[in-house]
Amino acid sequence: MSAPATQPATNGRLTASPRLARLPGIAGTIDGTFLTLVIGAAILWFAPVGMGRYGTYVLSLWLVMSIAVMGLNLTLGYAGLKSLAQAAFMGLGAYTTALLTTKAGVSWYAAFALSGLLTFAVGILLGFPALRVKAHYLAFVTLAFSTLIWLILRNEQWLTGGVFGISNINRPDFFGIKLFGALEFHRFVVAVTFILAVALWWLIRSPWGRAFTALRENPIRAASLGIDTRAYTLLAFAIGSAYAGFAGALYAPLVEFIDPSPFSLSQSFFLLLMVVAGGSGYLLGPFVGALLGVVLPEWLRFAGSLYLIIFASIVMLLLIACPQGVSGLLERAWAKLTGKRGDSR
Amino acid sequence: MKTQWIIATALATALALPASAQDKVKLVDVVELSGAGATAGTNWKNGIDLAVADINAKGGILGKQIEIVHYDTQTNPGNTRAAVQRAIDEGTYAVLGPVFSGPIGASMQIAQRAEIAQLVGGEAAGLTKQGNQFLFRTSLSQTAAMPKIANYLKNTVKAGSVAVVWVNNDFGKGGRDAIIPELEKAGIKVAADVATEQGQADFAADAIKIKNSNADAVFVYLNEEESARFLRAAKQQGITKPMVGETTLLGAKVIELAGEAANGVRGHVGLSIDAPIPAFQEFGKKFQAKYNYASDHNGLKGYMAVYMVKWATEKQKKFDKKGVADTLRGATIKPSDEPGILMETTIEENGDLDRESFLAEVINGKQVINATLPKIRP
Repeated sequence: MSAPATQPATNGRLTASPRLARLPGIAGTIDGTFLTLVIGAAILWFAPVGMGRYGTYVLSLWLVMSIAVMGLNLTLGYAGLKSLAQAAFMGLGAYTTALLTTKAGVSWYAAFALSGLLTFAVGILLGFPALRVKAHYLAFVTLAFSTLIWLILRNEQWLTGGVFGISNINRPDFFGIKLFGALEFHRFVVAVTFILAVALWWLIRSPWGRAFTALRENPIRAASLGIDTRAYTLLAFAIGSAYAGFAGALYAPLVEFIDPSPFSLSQSFFLLLMVVAGGSGYLLGPFVGALLGVVLPEWLRFAGSLYLIIFASIVMLLLIACPQGVSGLLERAWAKLTGKRGDSR
Repeated sequence: MKTQWIIATALATALALPASAQDKVKLVDVVELSGAGATAGTNWKNGIDLAVADINAKGGILGKQIEIVHYDTQTNPGNTRAAVQRAIDEGTYAVLGPVFSGPIGASMQIAQRAEIAQLVGGEAAGLTKQGNQFLFRTSLSQTAAMPKIANYLKNTVKAGSVAVVWVNNDFGKGGRDAIIPELEKAGIKVAADVATEQGQADFAADAIKIKNSNADAVFVYLNEEESARFLRAAKQQGITKPMVGETTLLGAKVIELAGEAANGVRGHVGLSIDAPIPAFQEFGKKFQAKYNYASDHNGLKGYMAVYMVKWATEKQKKFDKKGVADTLRGATIKPSDEPGILMETTIEENGDLDRESFLAEVINGKQVINATLPKIRP
C-alpha cells in the first residue's frame, strides 16, 4: 500500500507554464495544480445548473469526501504514515459540529473551526504512538483508535444519540444568505474545499511539505539533514486529521443526519482506497480518488444490481494496471505526450 | 345530427384513450440491496416487483402501467439520501423504502420537503414521532408490538423474569428500549439485558450469559442472520427456556438458517405468509414460485406498500403526489376495496399502522399461527 520510493511527491509543476514559473513572488509559485484548482472550482461552481438536486448533492458529497481524502493523502502520500482512522476523525468532526450547532446553538463557522482544532489535537495525541511504531503496527494503533471512536459514537447515547444518530442538523448561513438549497450549499462546499485545497497546496510547497516528503522517502537521511522527524511526523498526522475533521463538519449539514455507520472502520479502508486509487502523493489525487469512490458507483447505477460488481472490477483492474493510481497514469501519459518527465522524478 | 356528433366525439376519445394509457407512472424504490440490510431489502424489493407485476397485468393504476426502478442504498445514510433525492428529481410518484431505520432517518426530510409520500419498512418507534406528515409505515411500530409481547410473556408464557438479547443497531436498540418498560409495567423482572453486535458470528458467550441468568423466558430481538446464529448457539448451550421474539425471529429466513434450533420458538408476528388469511398464503405461494424461496415479512411489506399507493391514487381518482399522502393519512383500507392490501389496515395521523397481528410458534421447521390478536383501536 505504501508509495514506491520513486514516486513523485508532487506532480503540480508538471503542467506549469514556464512563463508563470518565472514570475517573481507569490505569482511565481503558481503552477498547473493551482490553475487546475481554480478552473475546477469555477467549473464546479456552475456545474450543478440544470443538474437537479440529486446531481448537486452527489457533487457536494464528492467534494466533502475529497477533503477527508486530502488529509489522508498528506498523512499517507506525503508523510508515509498508514492511518486507518481517517473516517473516525471525520466522525469526530461531524459529531462535534452537529452537537455544537444543534444542542449548544454555536454557529457553524465556530463549530467548523472547533472540529478542526479538536481533530488536530487528537491527531497529535494519536501521533505519539506513530513516533514509536511504523508500518503495520501503526495501522493497528489507528485501527484500535477507530474502533474506540466508533464505540463511543454508538454507545454514549446521552451525548451522540447512539444508533439513532442526530437528525435535523442545520445548514449554515453566509452573511445572511440562507444555504438551505442544494445549489447554495453546494457553492458553499466548493468555496470551502477550494480554500482547504489551496492551503494544502501551499503547505506542500512550503519547507514543511518538503520535510514531510523527506520523511517519507528516507527518515534517517531526513534526520541527518536536520529535520525534526518527531515534530514533522506529529504535524503530518495532526494536519491530516484536521482535514478529516473539516470534512466531517461539512458532512453533517450536507446530509442533515449523522449516525455512526459512515465513520466505521470499513469507511476508513474506503478512504484509504480512494487515496491509493486517486494516486497517493499527488495533490489532485484525492479529487480523482473520491470521484472514483463516490461518483463512479452513482454513474454505474444504470447497470442495476450489477453496479457494485462492476465498480469493484474497475477498481481492481485500475490498481493492477497502475499501482500509482489515476494521477500516476495521467502523469505517465503526459510524459509520453510531451516527452518530458515529471520534474520531481 | 347532434347525437351523431356526440357519438363521434365519444368514439374518438375512446380511441385516443389507449394512447394515453401508454403513459406510465414512475415509482422509485430506495432500498438496502447491499450492506447490512441486504436480506431485508431484497425481500422488500421482490415484494414490490410482485405487486407491480400483478397491478400492471390487471391494467395498472387508473389505466397507467407502473414503471418501477430500484436504487441500492448500501445501507449507508449518505447514499440513501442521494438515492431518495435522485428518485424525487426523476419524478417518482411516491418513494418506496428504505427498510432500515437509520437510512430512513437520513432521507425522510427530503421526501417531506418535496411533499411526496414515503412508504418505509422501518419499525423503530422514533421515526413517526418527528411530525413528518409524509412518512408512512408498512408494518406495526415497536411501540404497537411490544405491549402485545409483554402481555404474551405474562399471560401465556407465564414468565416472572425475562432475559432480553438484542442487536445494538437502530432496530435492536429501539426494540430493547420499547420492551423493557413494557416488561416492567407487566411486573416481569429483566434478568439479563444482553447487547450483541450487528454481523456478529459467535453467540456462545451471550448464550452462556443468558443461561446463567436463569430467566423464565428469553426475548430475542436480532436481525435475521444473527437470530439464526443465536438460536443455534442457545441450543448448543442447552437453553431450554421459551424463546420469544417479534416478527423477525419467526421469519422464514431465520427458520431456514437456524434449522432444528428454530423449533419451539414463539412470539408475536406482525405479518406472515403463514397467517390464517387466504390472501397472505396466496401471496406466499406466488412469491415462492417466482423467487424460489419463502418471503419474510419484508416481502409482504413491500407488496402492501405498492397497493397503498394504488389505493390512495384510485381513491383520489387522479395522480396527485401530495394527494397520496393526504389520502393515506387517517385512512382505513379494507381488502374488500383493495384486495392487494391483504388485511384491513388503518393508517394513523402520524403514519403509524393499526391492524390485526398474530401469535405464532415454529413447529417442525414451519411457522404455525396460534392466535390472531385484534387491532389496538378496532
